[in-house]
Amino acid sequence: MIKALFTRKAAGQGARTDTVLPGSALNWLLVSFAILLVPQWNRLPIWLIGACAGLAGWRWLAQTGRVRLPGRWLRVGIMLVLMAIYIATVRGHFSVDTASSFFVLAVGLKWLETRTQRDFYVVFFILVYLAAVNFLFRQDILWALMNFSAIGLLLAGLQTLNAPDLPPSARRGWKRLAGMVLKTLPVVILLFVFFPRMAPLWSVPMVSDQARTGLSDTMTPGDISSLAQNSERAFRVSFGGQVPAYRDRYWRGLILDYLDGETWRRREQDDFTRPGRIDLDGGVGELEPNQYDVLLEPTDRKWAFTLENSRAVSDNLVETPQALFEFRRPADTSVRYRMALEPSVRIVSGSPETLSSAQKRRYLQLPGEGNPQARALARELATQGSDEQVIRRLLERFREQEYYYTLRPPRMPENGIDRLLFEEKRGFCAHYAGAATFVYRAAGIPARVVTGYQGGEPGAGGEYLIVRQYDAHAWVEVWLEGRGWVRVDPTAAIAPDRIESGLRDAMAEEGSFLEDDPLSPQRYGDLPLVQWASLQLDRINYQWQRWVVGYQGQSQMDLMSRLPGGLGLKELGYLTAGIVGAALLFAGVISGWKRRGGPKQDRFRRLVAAWHRFCEQSGVPVRAGETPDFLAGRLARALPEVADAAASFARQVNRHYYSRPEGVATEQELRHLKHLLRTMKRQRRQRQTSSIRTRNP
Amino acid sequence: MLKKTLAGRIRRWINRRLPRADRQTFTQKTIFILPTGAGVVFGLLLLIMLVTGINYQNSLIYLLVFLLGALFVAAMHQTHRNLSGLTLALVSAGEGEAGEGVPFRFRITSTTADSLALALSVADEQGRPGAVIEGVHVPAGETRDVTLTLPTARRGYVRPERVRIETRFPFGLLKAWSWLRPVSAGVAYPRPLPAPDTVSTVQETDNNDTPVRVAGQDEADLRPWREGDLTPRVMWKRYARTGQMVVADWQASGGSPHWLDFSAFPGADTELRLSYLAWQVRDRAAKGARFGLTLPGEVIDPDAGNPHALRCLHALAVWGQEKPRDDAHVHGTRAGVDSAGAGRAA
Repeated sequence: MIKALFTRKAAGQGARTDTVLPGSALNWLLVSFAILLVPQWNRLPIWLIGACAGLAGWRWLAQTGRVRLPGRWLRVGIMLVLMAIYIATVRGHFSVDTASSFFVLAVGLKWLETRTQRDFYVVFFILVYLAAVNFLFRQDILWALMNFSAIGLLLAGLQTLNAPDLPPSARRGWKRLAGMVLKTLPVVILLFVFFPRMAPLWSVPMVSDQARTGLSDTMTPGDISSLAQNSERAFRVSFGGQVPAYRDRYWRGLILDYLDGETWRRREQDDFTRPGRIDLDGGVGELEPNQYDVLLEPTDRKWAFTLENSRAVSDNLVETPQALFEFRRPADTSVRYRMALEPSVRIVSGSPETLSSAQKRRYLQLPGEGNPQARALARELATQGSDEQVIRRLLERFREQEYYYTLRPPRMPENGIDRLLFEEKRGFCAHYAGAATFVYRAAGIPARVVTGYQGGEPGAGGEYLIVRQYDAHAWVEVWLEGRGWVRVDPTAAIAPDRIESGLRDAMAEEGSFLEDDPLSPQRYGDLPLVQWASLQLDRINYQWQRWVVGYQGQSQMDLMSRLPGGLGLKELGYLTAGIVGAALLFAGVISGWKRRGGPKQDRFRRLVAAWHRFCEQSGVPVRAGETPDFLAGRLARALPEVADAAASFARQVNRHYYSRPEGVATEQELRHLKHLLRTMKRQRRQRQTSSIRTRNP
Repeated sequence: MLKKTLAGRIRRWINRRLPRADRQTFTQKTIFILPTGAGVVFGLLLLIMLVTGINYQNSLIYLLVFLLGALFVAAMHQTHRNLSGLTLALVSAGEGEAGEGVPFRFRITSTTADSLALALSVADEQGRPGAVIEGVHVPAGETRDVTLTLPTARRGYVRPERVRIETRFPFGLLKAWSWLRPVSAGVAYPRPLPAPDTVSTVQETDNNDTPVRVAGQDEADLRPWREGDLTPRVMWKRYARTGQMVVADWQASGGSPHWLDFSAFPGADTELRLSYLAWQVRDRAAKGARFGLTLPGEVIDPDAGNPHALRCLHALAVWGQEKPRDDAHVHGTRAGVDSAGAGRAA
């Protein structure tokens, strides 16, 4: 145990930094590293995950003594190779993902150098920050719990590092940690609520090359059917009043009005947007009966999904001329927005009464050639009556003939619309929406493809709807003179189940619903327990998102405005400082009070200590290891007056020590001791006054 | 210069708070607590994380920062409580050889709370950590004894200026420490150096000035042969029997073999003489011989046995030195000397 350390360079502080790491502490670190990597698994390149596992495993084996840590040259070699791979894969392209993978790489390389306490702390700090980075990407409650438990492991590791060989009775690192967390929790919650949520100090965009699942701004037949195999959440909606019927839940996302060969595109691309963060303030307060509130998962796109006839209530959305809604910045994180339904005669709000000739051209655009049969069909339909009749005729054709709605459409590369309409007759919503728009345009009716979602299932408790990726849908809007833009959904004609109750029912016969995703709970709609558990989890997450993750500027201000006193940002700052100060004061008072109070054993000790103080004040220093009798003897020599009291005091103390050294002193004993001590003090006072009197007669 | 006066002022302030005593119970008044280097970096990290949270408007990062910050404060209390109420007492200040180290035995008693991962250390003359003992755990209400071996280069009284007790438990982000400024002093014996042959100047009371064979060879001092010894002095009979060249010392020493004499090494300086004598004491004691010791102003009568040898070594160690006093400014009080003596006796 004893180390005479002559060779140490640093004094005091540095003395303990170059000791060997205890293996158990390292294990905590390795485990929390593994946990912190999990939330990143799909944004890290495979080679990096492999390298990290290898390096951490090497370090672990080295700790168990099976292999040696690499020497300096090998270490430098490994470092150079991994850095080269990193630079080669990044190629000067900078995003949040490359930054976070650099972070992970740094930790991975550090493993080979983690030899001392100092290294341990370096890794600790990096891992704590890694947990914070994880929060940028994933904010679900389970991921959050994972991150927090990794932090817990790190702190437990620190305890092991600082006391590796605790006796079993004191080895309660978790208990101690949990106690500390519980004691501080009120302060943490108060700080969370009252700490002023300032605007960003500077704008840092979160550029991610992570491909998000979700709608894209082009539509080639087959795109949406791949989304239909995905059960991830797209967004959640809660309504202030009546929830619309399933068939009316058309969530418009964006409009594709330009047919480029087989692919539908947007004619107007997004303008360049200045990098910046999305505005997260999605409105506060109770929902009005006609309002609804959407919590959108991150899409990295600007467009929002809204019902027809909606008006934006929250300020973070703007309306486009096509009656769509957009954020000012791509939604790189989950964002809430609030809309209001405005019943009106027009099916689609904001549509102009008349189309300009430029607009007409735009919505009648078709490629120069291709799909001759479809064009012939359009010509034939056009001769048969008004626009309404043409539209109805085509839908009737879909309804009456043997058209199938399927998630396994055949590939139709050349003249796809012709083959769909006249040969295969099997397709998904995107096929039919594209084909119908083509035919209407060929027949001279302005038409456009709308993509978005259709449907949404109620979450647990029915508080909100969950719209998932497989609810993605495409339909058609046509321009009718005097009525404006009108929704036409060919899928409703072919597979009414899809529109009335969703994809699961529409695919019940085919059995293809989520066939590629056996892990998704939504696939097992017939197992009530799975459904129930998945919906309950979603509900917890929804509340978590709304009240914890989404607790930002405006929602804080809203909460504060309900409290008396009308707190602004500045007041919140003062309040925060006050909370911290009060908490510190409270803790100090508690600890002081604890020391003063306590079991009776301490009262006995305090009396003995008071007697020791008395002795020292009387010029008789207390020696370590001295018996009370001996001390009393010396006290008697110095102060003959107190001899008797001191002797009884010592006897009493002795008796206590010998009769029950661990036991608790009785009240009677304590009273007796106190009395004796008072007597001694009085006697000393009398002696002092008498000596003064003799000196000054 | 300024630094020096500041350091001096701080030391005086600390010394006022922690008077010299062999026993110290640490309270709020005497415990010092500061973040360690890691703690400072941790604070900076929290700041960076807070800025990240503000910039990305990420509530969970706020939550993480507040949680870690609150834990840091809780750790401050925990670390403080680790020392608070603890009693550190110097049980015995031992004796040892200069260059080897002097053992100091401490007793640590905790009261209501566990005191974990304590480290005891003593800085040497240059302020470097001279002796460290780490990882002492004292569960609530229990007592632990630890021995700290102080390295010392010179003979004489050894009294650490202050013994530092420190803890960084639980997280190592904060360190709480205090000091015990012991009154008692240990003793370092002179480092033994093989002495040349000597002539004692001490006069034996009964047989004056004659080299005596004291009751046959059994009582003579025997020592291994070494270079410079005259051939006739080697005990050849013993050599024939055992193969070891042994010299009977009494044959050559002009003076009495009973007396080890400070003035027997003409020309050597004091420390060297003491080292020679120390070697001789050990040498004689190892052989179980009777011997006495004369030092200027001190005479220890001939005797044999280990206690006698230790007494002689002690006398050599403290010869010409004054016992360290309580504090420089408390002149003339009996108390200081008293307790110093008591500490050694205990």
